[in-house]
Amino acid sequence: MGVHNSIGLGKEITITIDGKECKSTYGKTILQIARENGIYIPTMCYLTKVKPIASCRMCIVNVEGVEGAILSCQEKAVDGAVITTNNEGLFLERQNIMKLYNVNHPLECGVCDQSGECDLQNKTLEFEVDNQTFTAREQFRPIENWGHVSYDASLCIMCEKCVRVSTEITGDEALQIKFGGYSSEIINVKPEKNYATLGEAAAVCPVGALVDTNFKYIANAWELTQVPSSCPHCGGGCQLYYEVKPAGIENRRETIYRVGNNYEFSTLCPAGRYAFDYDNTTAVKDPEAFNRAIEAFKKAKTIRFSSMTSNEEALILQKLKEKYGYRLLSPEAKAYRDFMDAYGSVTGSHLYGGDLKTLGKSQGIIILGTRLNDDHPTVKYHVNMASKWERARVAYIHPMEDPEMQTIVTQFIKNEVGSEEGVAALLAEVLLRDAALPESARAFLSDLDIGQLSAESNVGEEELEALKASLHKRHGFSLIVGTDLYAHPRAKEIAKIIALFEKYGGYNVICVPPAGNAMGISLICDLDDEAEGSVIGYNVSGDFTLSAMGGGDLDMPAMNQQEGTLTTLEKRVVPMHVATPYEGYILNDIANALGLDAEYTIDYTAQLPEARGYKAVDFDTLPDYFDITGEAHRGYLLDPKSVPVDESFDEVAELEDFDGTIVYQCNPQEHFSPFTAMSKELASKPLLRGSAQFATAAKLQDGDTVSFEIDGVRFERVFKIDTSMKGTIALNPIYDMGLSWALLSSYRFSQVKFERMNNEKVGS
Amino acid sequence: MSLEQFKNRNVGTQHYKMLDLGESPKTPWCRFKRVMKRTFKGELFVGLWVTMREMINALFRGEMHTVKYPFEKLPISPRYRAIHEMLRLLESGHYRCIGCGLCEKICISNCIAMETRYDENQRKEVSEYTINFGRCIFCGYCAEVCPELAIVHGPRYENASEQRASFALFEDMLTPIDKLNLQQEYPGFGAPTPYADENIKKTPLAY
Repeated sequence: MGVHNSIGLGKEITITIDGKECKSTYGKTILQIARENGIYIPTMCYLTKVKPIASCRMCIVNVEGVEGAILSCQEKAVDGAVITTNNEGLFLERQNIMKLYNVNHPLECGVCDQSGECDLQNKTLEFEVDNQTFTAREQFRPIENWGHVSYDASLCIMCEKCVRVSTEITGDEALQIKFGGYSSEIINVKPEKNYATLGEAAAVCPVGALVDTNFKYIANAWELTQVPSSCPHCGGGCQLYYEVKPAGIENRRETIYRVGNNYEFSTLCPAGRYAFDYDNTTAVKDPEAFNRAIEAFKKAKTIRFSSMTSNEEALILQKLKEKYGYRLLSPEAKAYRDFMDAYGSVTGSHLYGGDLKTLGKSQGIIILGTRLNDDHPTVKYHVNMASKWERARVAYIHPMEDPEMQTIVTQFIKNEVGSEEGVAALLAEVLLRDAALPESARAFLSDLDIGQLSAESNVGEEELEALKASLHKRHGFSLIVGTDLYAHPRAKEIAKIIALFEKYGGYNVICVPPAGNAMGISLICDLDDEAEGSVIGYNVSGDFTLSAMGGGDLDMPAMNQQEGTLTTLEKRVVPMHVATPYEGYILNDIANALGLDAEYTIDYTAQLPEARGYKAVDFDTLPDYFDITGEAHRGYLLDPKSVPVDESFDEVAELEDFDGTIVYQCNPQEHFSPFTAMSKELASKPLLRGSAQFATAAKLQDGDTVSFEIDGVRFERVFKIDTSMKGTIALNPIYDMGLSWALLSSYRFSQVKFERMNNEKVGS
Repeated sequence: MSLEQFKNRNVGTQHYKMLDLGESPKTPWCRFKRVMKRTFKGELFVGLWVTMREMINALFRGEMHTVKYPFEKLPISPRYRAIHEMLRLLESGHYRCIGCGLCEKICISNCIAMETRYDENQRKEVSEYTINFGRCIFCGYCAEVCPELAIVHGPRYENASEQRASFALFEDMLTPIDKLNLQQEYPGFGAPTPYADENIKKTPLAY
């Protein structure tokens, strides 16, 4: 936690609001204290998750002894203050503000998408403004289509929420205000990038000015039923609502029209917001296919499954393993489990200690082994918050620079591919120099051949010293490590070094789990390394394939068609509910046919392993809401369990050579898996992207179609030169690989041989 | 948000209500008594006498009350709520419906369904619209709530059909474009009052 300079912060205070005595701590604003105590103060521009905007003046209150009105959203309450939130004067003032908001506001509520959930509508009625008292000369304001969102300036009330969200939260910094009095408007300064993160800006828009382009005019807010659930894509398990309605007049099947969320307190990433249409709509109960599946299960020795598997399904598979001795294969989750086991052998806990809230308040952040903006947008949002609010120093250590992180990262340290172990050791050596390390760790660090490691990893000592200097006199440090490390050949050794930061350095360490429910699977299942005999694939290709994305031998429900829980990055178990109907068989039916006994899949929720931190809680009792202060009451938090400590360290291994053309498996920010690939909104052509330098090294030309193989999966990609990239590493997305996607699990950087398919130019 | 509805997996059994039909006679004697009572009440003859009297009036005194439907039809009140009509704007001929969805929302028998989309002119277009007349109870709420006087009740009350449910599409109810000159402004339910003009206020112009 950051230490604040202001004196008396955190001191107990008592203030009186509308005659009610409210106890709180110094540092909170009047509005915050009022809300905590259930006292209503109207606001138009206030958005809890960003800093007070203070553009609407609706939140004015009177404080005894202070002349004039006070903006309660940004004024800190002082001890003994007596506050009035409503009287005739304040009402008149607010009414006049509403009259001004309504100047020339088009009277098109009848067709406006926001109608029914519009703040302007609500407050206009609340303050009894029943006609437009003033008008101004009408301006020509065409509707702008920015791709994922559209902007109608004539509906805009200039509350600035969207600008703040795009700057302070999502960090795309695409939106700005064009000042100009009555003709002020929001402008998109990066229209060519078509950021899907602007969906968040549209979500917070209190009026119909900024709306999702594809949702426009297709449904009224009140026709949609909200199904609360959690997003299964990245492992963040963010809260969301699927908003469903029958698909049309002919087709009365419930379909998801859009995704909403509690935008006051939480934020979704592009995949969460737009990748909702991956449900399996064609499944039917085919008893023959089902019998074949049972036969296949009886014959099989191995079950291979992807990370898009809920906790309950993972437990079913684990129970089947216990009963029939199957080998369970989920390479991504297995690598994470091994990493966390090694990590726990130092910290003594089976979970990492970090969380996102602390990350958002850190003053120093180190990111290692992940292309964060693409791998985990939600974590990036929190890094961005720390950067904007705490002016956090952000060191980004990766073999590739990421232009999308440029505005946040204060120091980019480029390391050689494969040198993560050396880098972790060097980091520990420099940053934990003054920490009370145990004997073994101290000996390990002092034995390091710094010169050699620096040379091998290409991370200069002076770079790390500069990093250390920049963290001087700062408080609250976070370390984020990601998927590059889990599949690294030396993952276990790296994990132990990283663990030192949490245990002895006081760092808020987050080991970002791989996409999907990899964390839950890693905790619930005893996973194996190698397949044996006949293989059942669940959302992965196998000898018999169960698939929710089509192309399999038996249909399965997608994540938005099943009840279940997910284990999230926040170490929280969160519930998912059924959004769209599913008519086929589910995994529980197979399990029941094989001798397990449960009426519903969620009967397993209470049986999740307590030894791994889960609680014996029934699915139906899991809460899923945010309270008025923004505290998440979603599911429950995992209990950290202590594990045996073994603080022995292995010498840093020689670096394997990574020469020539290297390909990095990395999905774009919007995509995580073949399920996000099904999203119509996010549809994009997967390209192999590299710099001009890479093109020269690999002897490729822009537009070449090349073929190459990674982990036995054959890719055919069009190569595209990306001028924003540098170096000799190309980005290869894997989200479109369908049932082969979950087979890709080795170290994310790989040397590949390209075979050119043809010399035809595709595109320019 | 309440999660109650998601916890009830007992789909399809929760909406039944038992009707209160009163006591039925229990013993055979009670049942016999009821039959006798119903059979020999003198009211039967009162009814027969009324019929007789009216027959004599009609046949011999020329006081016929019946309308010879379907050869003869009585005018019906403008407030009568029969099959819906979709009106057009008189000037442009464009349909009046803006697709606001209020009729769909207010419909208490849930028989209106509509599909809308964003059209090429940046307007909300009603791409499909149906009313299920098998369910419609002709309550008139849709006409009353319509802000554009686009959906109104017409005088067409003959809606016998071979099937229990019959649907009407938007085009069926829309005034045919060649009969636009015959389109009547609806005076009935939901129409502006005769004094509406006097209540219209001008938007103040500041410039």
